[in-house]
Amino acid sequence: MSLHWESTVYAIIAFGILYWLLSKYAFGPLLSIMEKRRLLVLEQMDSAEASRKQAAQQLEEQKLALQQARKEAYDIIEQAKLTSVKQADEIVQAAKSEANRVKENAVQDITSEKNKAIAALRSEVSGMSVQIASKIIEKQIDEKSQEQLVDQYLKEVGSK
Amino acid sequence: MKYGMHLFPELNVGGLTIDISSFIAITVSVIITFVLARLAVRNLSVDNPSRMQNFLEWVVDFVHNTIASTMPLSKVKPYINLGMTLIMFIFISNLLGLPFGIVTETHSVNETLGITQADLDKHGGHVEIAWWKSPTADLAVTAGLALIVFGLVHFLGLKLNRKHYFKHYFEPYPIFFPLNIIEELAKPLTLALRLYANIFAGEILIATILMLGWVGTPFLIAWQGFSLFVGAIQAFLFTILTMVYISKTTVHEEH
Repeated sequence: MSLHWESTVYAIIAFGILYWLLSKYAFGPLLSIMEKRRLLVLEQMDSAEASRKQAAQQLEEQKLALQQARKEAYDIIEQAKLTSVKQADEIVQAAKSEANRVKENAVQDITSEKNKAIAALRSEVSGMSVQIASKIIEKQIDEKSQEQLVDQYLKEVGSK
Repeated sequence: MKYGMHLFPELNVGGLTIDISSFIAITVSVIITFVLARLAVRNLSVDNPSRMQNFLEWVVDFVHNTIASTMPLSKVKPYINLGMTLIMFIFISNLLGLPFGIVTETHSVNETLGITQADLDKHGGHVEIAWWKSPTADLAVTAGLALIVFGLVHFLGLKLNRKHYFKHYFEPYPIFFPLNIIEELAKPLTLALRLYANIFAGEILIATILMLGWVGTPFLIAWQGFSLFVGAIQAFLFTILTMVYISKTTVHEEH
């Protein structure tokens, strides 16, 4: 077994060439791919984070919108309730006043009819009683005293 | 006949002695490593990596973690390339001598292959020439790798961390200077010797088991499996030590 420095030199040269070849044609592309992947992963993580934030923000917005809608619906219902109560009150009020008016009219009518009837009756009764009295008594009494007499009688009768 | 008695063919060209089996082994290892790496990165994909790409990325992460996990990928790229090349090349080199051997027998003197009459006489008229081995089973080759690491570590130390680089020879006290020098010299020496000894011992044992004939088949299978493991461990060790040395010189820690 003998050592040859030529082998050493050849080994160094061959290794140098191999290093150069591998750097250029094998590991260079491999490392650049790995670097690319690293960047890709970073980028994807960034975009994932961004979309997560966006989603959270949108969720918040949705919640707000939902709350707003709920509040509006509640308001509408409240307003509708109020309106309906008011309308009902108005209707009842109108009905009441109408009824009152009708009743009062009726009462007035009744009163006036009654008075008319009483007046008519009174005049008729006084006339009749004059005729009856003049027929029965057959006596000349001046118109004035006769009427006084009749009125007196009628009042007595009416107060009974 | 022992493995060590195999002769390795040597070519004498213009005063240079070329160990043909080493040259073949290095060349084949380089080609296999490059082809495998190319195959692994054939269909690179960002979001749908193939199984080979996943494995290679795992190796990249592993090497990255051993050198400086705090430094960004773009900054340590040359070191990662070095670590990846080292671990792949050494692992494939370690495995190269395992599956088979190519041995030719010759009875004549062949000066171009370095077969002398003395060799023939020594081995009783015929010699076996081994053409195939792990490149890392040759101390000259592992020394080459260790020299690369040694040169790189000191170059990087001088370039990136000059003050600290010179200071560390005199730490913790100036009296430690010789010790530090020995430590620096021991680093490449141990790198080269450890790798060489492990792989060479493995190949010697394979050759020894082969001499048992068919009886040795289970041992051969077991030992080849173990050699696979040793080859992986040694590649891992060489790489991780290199990365540790580099990170020690390039990453300056404030005290």
